[in-house]
Amino acid sequence: MSRGSGGGYDRHITIFSPEGRLFQVEYAFKAVKAAGITSIGVRGKYSVCVVTQKKVPDKLLDQTSVTHLFPITKFLGLLATGMTADARTLVQQARNEAAEFRFRYGYEMPVDVLSKWIADKSQVYTQHAYMRPLGVVAMVLGIDEEKGPQLYKCDPAGHFYGHKATSAGSKEQEAINFLEKKMKNDPAFTYEETVQTAISALQSVLQEDFKATEIEVGVVKADNPVFRVMSTEEIDEHLTAISERD
Amino acid sequence: MGDSQYSFSLTTFSPSGKLVQIEHALTAVGSGQTSLGIKAANGVVIATEKKLPSILVDETSVQKIQCLTPNIGVVYSGMGPDFRVLVRKSRKQAEQYHRLYKEPIPVTQLVRETAAVMQEFTQSGGVRPFGVSLLVAGYDDNGPQLYQLDPSGSYFSWKASAMGKNVSNAKTFLEKRYTDDMELDDAVHTAILTLKEGFEGQISGKNIEIGIIGTDKKFWQAPL
Repeated sequence: MSRGSGGGYDRHITIFSPEGRLFQVEYAFKAVKAAGITSIGVRGKYSVCVVTQKKVPDKLLDQTSVTHLFPITKFLGLLATGMTADARTLVQQARNEAAEFRFRYGYEMPVDVLSKWIADKSQVYTQHAYMRPLGVVAMVLGIDEEKGPQLYKCDPAGHFYGHKATSAGSKEQEAINFLEKKMKNDPAFTYEETVQTAISALQSVLQEDFKATEIEVGVVKADNPVFRVMSTEEIDEHLTAISERD
Repeated sequence: MGDSQYSFSLTTFSPSGKLVQIEHALTAVGSGQTSLGIKAANGVVIATEKKLPSILVDETSVQKIQCLTPNIGVVYSGMGPDFRVLVRKSRKQAEQYHRLYKEPIPVTQLVRETAAVMQEFTQSGGVRPFGVSLLVAGYDDNGPQLYQLDPSGSYFSWKASAMGKNVSNAKTFLEKRYTDDMELDDAVHTAILTLKEGFEGQISGKNIEIGIIGTDKKFWQAPL
């Protein structure tokens, strides 16, 4: 006879519920949405672009310290959506791991390898009771030497997939619907198209036009595979191009 | 394997003598995507649905069927992240065997060691059982073999088996179609037909994966 909800602990630590679910993992996903930020990533033919909202809750805050976009190595970027503190832990560990990889094996850590490492670490938190899952969805971007531009998304459950385009955060589903329509016929976006698709997706889903200071944009391009956070001037150019295009 | 502060097991007996966490793990497996395996006279085939959450996902980045050694492959139903952990541990165990005995690990040995890991997580402190069932397909000196491993750590050898969402229909279908002297090509054909039975939507090369091992003892994935 089933003992019901496992003594009630299935909501507190990551053990199975009677329906075979992990509530703590599901709650971690909710925490990502609760942060109130939406992020979008788009992979083009020769570049990858990620965009996220930059909400500075207090005018007295130093805006440059409010960021969700982190370089992991010179060539790999990570966009963390969700709880900022958890994001910083993840970034710190990822930076360490990527540096050790480079030292140990003599070549740069590829995007999919780093994503797998992040996802495997997240899986450990879903199986061991002593650590809760992190409330962060990580989008990792970079240019792979063999496969070209890559965009991976890792979630608190330990899943990771490569994406042609994806989204995370509060308006995740709406953004994915928008992107599915845009990417339906497997378009091969140029760099400008990639950036503009990402930014206009965010604008459409949040139904507001942004100023350059309200969003963060990160890119990698095949001809210069360094991960770069765009300056406000560059963002402004793209925003103008989008509004002129419409 | 016990974790700090958790020197007690989370999987404990209920008054009726059941280990409910394992039952819940099996429920998690039962809601996973369907996968199946068929042992033929001259080889083994394993197959699974590959339904991705969105068309935006790059399907080449996802590989549900993995090889543990050149002559042993594995597929799962249930939680993907848990599967990756088991694949990693099994591969290491296979390598360690090879280093010690200078020969490829027999299928039964690898299955036994993997099952032991799964059992550990049902008894150790501060951990939950794995939410996956595995189908291991291999070909060694004992011929073609197919094993199913459950979250409890128990395993059985099967002539044909299925797991996941559509398990009862798939097993009925397999029972009708299975013959002891089946050839590998027939088995592959039957596997695809079985998957098609319970498939929601249009089946195509992009939303299933097939792994095959024949008398050449090399596990390979059919490019569809």
